[in-house]
Amino acid sequence: MSAAETAVETPAIEEPPGLLRLAIVRGLVVLGIIAVGIFFLIASDEWLNIANYTMLAAIAALSLNVLSGYTGQVSLGIAFFMAIGAYTAVWLGGDPTTTFFINAQKVPALGLGLSWLIWLPGAGIVAAIAGAIIGPTALRLKGFYLGIVSLALIFIGQQIFVNASRLTGGPGGRSFPSVTFGSFDFSQQNTILGVAVTSNQQYFLLILVILVIAAVFVHNVMRSRAGRAFQAVRDNETGAAILGVNLFEAKMGAFILSAFLAGIAGALFAAFNSYVRPDYWGLLLSIQYVAAIIVGGIASVWGSILGAAFVFALPQIIELLTPQSQSSTSTGVIFGIASGDLNAAIYGLLIIVFLLFEPAGMIGLIRRGQLLVRRLSNRPRKGGEPAKASPNSVHDSEFEVESSTLSTGDGA
Amino acid sequence: MSNPVPDAVEMPAHPGNGAPLLSVEGLTVRFAGVTALAEVSFNVQPGELFAVIGPNGAGKTSLFNVFSRVYQPAAGTITFDGRDLLRLKPHQTARAGIARTFQNLGQFPLHTVLDYMLLGRHTHMRSGILLGGIYLGPTRSEEKKNRAYCLKLLSLLGLERYQNYPLGSLPYGLQKRADLARALAMQPRLLLLDEPVAGMGLEESQDIAAVILDIKEQLGITQILVEHDMAMVMGIADRVLVLDFGRVIAQGLPAEIQANPDVIKAYLGEEFGKQASVDVSTPAETSREQ
Amino acid sequence: MAFFIQLVFNGIALGCIYALIALGFTIIFKASEVINFAQGEFLLVGAYVASAGVFDWNLGFVPSILLAIAVTVIIGMLFERFALRRMIGRPVFSIIMITIGLDTILRTGVVIKWGSTIRAPASPFQFSSGFNVGGVHFGANEIWTIIVTIAICALLFVFFRFTRYGLAMRATAIDQEAALAIGVNVRTVYALAWGIAGAIATIGGIFLAIQAAAFDSTLGQTALLAFPAIILGGLDSVVGAVVGGILIGLTQDLTAGYEGHFTNIVGAGFHDIAPYILMIIILFIRPYGLFGTRKVERV
Repeated sequence: MSAAETAVETPAIEEPPGLLRLAIVRGLVVLGIIAVGIFFLIASDEWLNIANYTMLAAIAALSLNVLSGYTGQVSLGIAFFMAIGAYTAVWLGGDPTTTFFINAQKVPALGLGLSWLIWLPGAGIVAAIAGAIIGPTALRLKGFYLGIVSLALIFIGQQIFVNASRLTGGPGGRSFPSVTFGSFDFSQQNTILGVAVTSNQQYFLLILVILVIAAVFVHNVMRSRAGRAFQAVRDNETGAAILGVNLFEAKMGAFILSAFLAGIAGALFAAFNSYVRPDYWGLLLSIQYVAAIIVGGIASVWGSILGAAFVFALPQIIELLTPQSQSSTSTGVIFGIASGDLNAAIYGLLIIVFLLFEPAGMIGLIRRGQLLVRRLSNRPRKGGEPAKASPNSVHDSEFEVESSTLSTGDGA
Repeated sequence: MSNPVPDAVEMPAHPGNGAPLLSVEGLTVRFAGVTALAEVSFNVQPGELFAVIGPNGAGKTSLFNVFSRVYQPAAGTITFDGRDLLRLKPHQTARAGIARTFQNLGQFPLHTVLDYMLLGRHTHMRSGILLGGIYLGPTRSEEKKNRAYCLKLLSLLGLERYQNYPLGSLPYGLQKRADLARALAMQPRLLLLDEPVAGMGLEESQDIAAVILDIKEQLGITQILVEHDMAMVMGIADRVLVLDFGRVIAQGLPAEIQANPDVIKAYLGEEFGKQASVDVSTPAETSREQ
Repeated sequence: MAFFIQLVFNGIALGCIYALIALGFTIIFKASEVINFAQGEFLLVGAYVASAGVFDWNLGFVPSILLAIAVTVIIGMLFERFALRRMIGRPVFSIIMITIGLDTILRTGVVIKWGSTIRAPASPFQFSSGFNVGGVHFGANEIWTIIVTIAICALLFVFFRFTRYGLAMRATAIDQEAALAIGVNVRTVYALAWGIAGAIATIGGIFLAIQAAAFDSTLGQTALLAFPAIILGGLDSVVGAVVGGILIGLTQDLTAGYEGHFTNIVGAGFHDIAPYILMIIILFIRPYGLFGTRKVERV
């Protein structure tokens, strides 16, 4: 065509860069697997405990990122969907011989005692159905209106859970049986191939596998047609529609996928924690996840994982490492986190600081670091042109990368 | 509608039976007490390069917004390819074969050029969440094919080296060009160009004008062009429609329009209109105001 | 019947408090398009500072109120100046989140400073002052709440209608760029908006604390109910803020009064979520609230 520039080569067919395509990422993955393996073998029980809760949180953070980070739907309702997952799991897998004291009466609990192979996917599916029911509201309501409705969801949900005592055990909560794999009960120490594995180690493997599956799945979705549609919806709904994106399908899809992941996370939590109470699933939990994805990186798979690590693991690690001082503001452990008000204040502070200074979260910080390294190695030669024109050098600092997303090839 | 991805950059053929591709009758659009369009009627023939011009606020973008089904008309009918366009929802216009460039470009600043192109391929691809999440298999081959197609388009427009640049990081002119590439990637029957050279310098405008002509001559796509740049419009358009305050004040060949005193009056005011009606020697429609 | 009237009266008084919070929210929103999730928390901070003023620092009632107002106004203005200014142009999600951050800090900051023990509110009234008519107790606090709310609404009306700064704020609310173009100092408008919002939320907080007779940080939970009020009325409507507030207050108290009959079906504590249910119902019919205006996304 006459308007085309002269130096045009036929492009090689560009395979979409997958997680494993790039050599560096490949190397890192291998290192990562080795590191995880070592961790699994030698880490103490407390560390494994922290790791397990953190990985669970990462799955939930992925869920929130799918809905809010990638699709831009303002939602504080993640705690609600996790609760749905947890209580579905409780219903399907709970011990039918348990009884509760309700109104001074002994009442048999609801529970079918089924295996985790049923209650885990079941939790996801029921949560996904709940997501499908809630989803259409996002079509009518935008922004803050949607946000407050999701807030309402949490409160209404808690009200229901507290009162559905036969299922939830009322305000006191109920215990939940652990995962059993054939003859292995995950809450016990077992022997595999002559090697002793602790309960935490068994859960570590299970949760890790599920996290990896979830992360890869979400990453794949986001670099394919559906994920592009999600992000278009986030950036400009009307524009997206003009491009042919069916807003109903896109939003419903986001809600369903997000709710499914949240349900899985909630159910796994119930098993690992072996106890669930209605007051777990409150506003604070949702805010923690919001903090996690803002700190880690909106619209980023690695960001979800990093953010979960930062928000959920760090306080515990600090507590583990510091000598037993009187941390007067931690009032107990929920989700493996000290639920003290000090922590909540820190979440608030983190949200503010990151939004002000690094809206792309830690992923953004990492990318700035990469940029810096690239710039330093790209110093222009004398009398010539800059050595390499890297894609990101065009925008540097004026351009805030709010979402580190799409197929730039560094793997989410 | 699942179109197989063509190997070459082909565009759909148009019916050759002489019927207009787009037919607008009595279109009236009102909002907030303002009448944006009043009784607008015109036809666009297949393969034509049809221009809509008019002073600011004349209703040109409103016209496009109606075609995109973002605005609801108060009255009028629109027939596209034999179908009633007004029955479609916004996202169905793309599937029906209408692609549009945007006047404001800030919509998707974070998408890379290539991703933006692929977004344009949305209606031509099929993977949903489930297939996408698994990725191996149908989705992967779909992505490969469509990527290749988009890259080919990009290279035709000289944008291939920017494929991984976020849209927002590109200079304005390149963004507009990428937007045009994206519209082409949608394989439209009708291409709506919303001020494609706005804010561009002379050389860039000429480049784009050449691209638009190429689209017409080599790809045969019907185009409606909304523009302010008179020189460009008159140079390339087949027919021109002039709007003023939402009304059609003239329709016809570029030469006719340029000489039309009503048009001149609308753009330049009363005085020039009178001058034109004195100077111009066309036999028809000279409204003499003395 | 007396019971009903009692509930209605109390509900209106409670609603006035929500209305004050909602009004502050709407003022900020109209002036700067910022969604201040922390609005309810100003109420909490106000109640605590006032209470501390009277009981910890032995100031009088009025100085304590003024101190409380000053504190929330300063917090609001500082936040606006140093945090929100940098967020101009960012997506709605981020702005909401940053005010959620502020909300969390305020809520927990209060607990960190004053602990979670129950406090007595700063109050000029005796506990049961007020008068009775036909079996209905018209508490002094409630009466004053309603009176003060009306007074504030009237003052705001005068302010917006007749003063220079009020006009400037209205202009900014309609079209920021145009306001800038005619020389309105938009920064002052923002600061003013946050200041007013903080002040009236504080006043609401003081009344609410008195109503509660003794309060702790869960007062913040009650403050959250201002959001259904805001949504129900419409984010950008001043009338909506007041109407929404009153509706929510009425809903809460009426439900609390009559829910005893329905505990089997809806469970205890239903009145805490009834406002949310009402909000959802209204949003079904009017997705932008009763008086809110639809926002058009530009293409």
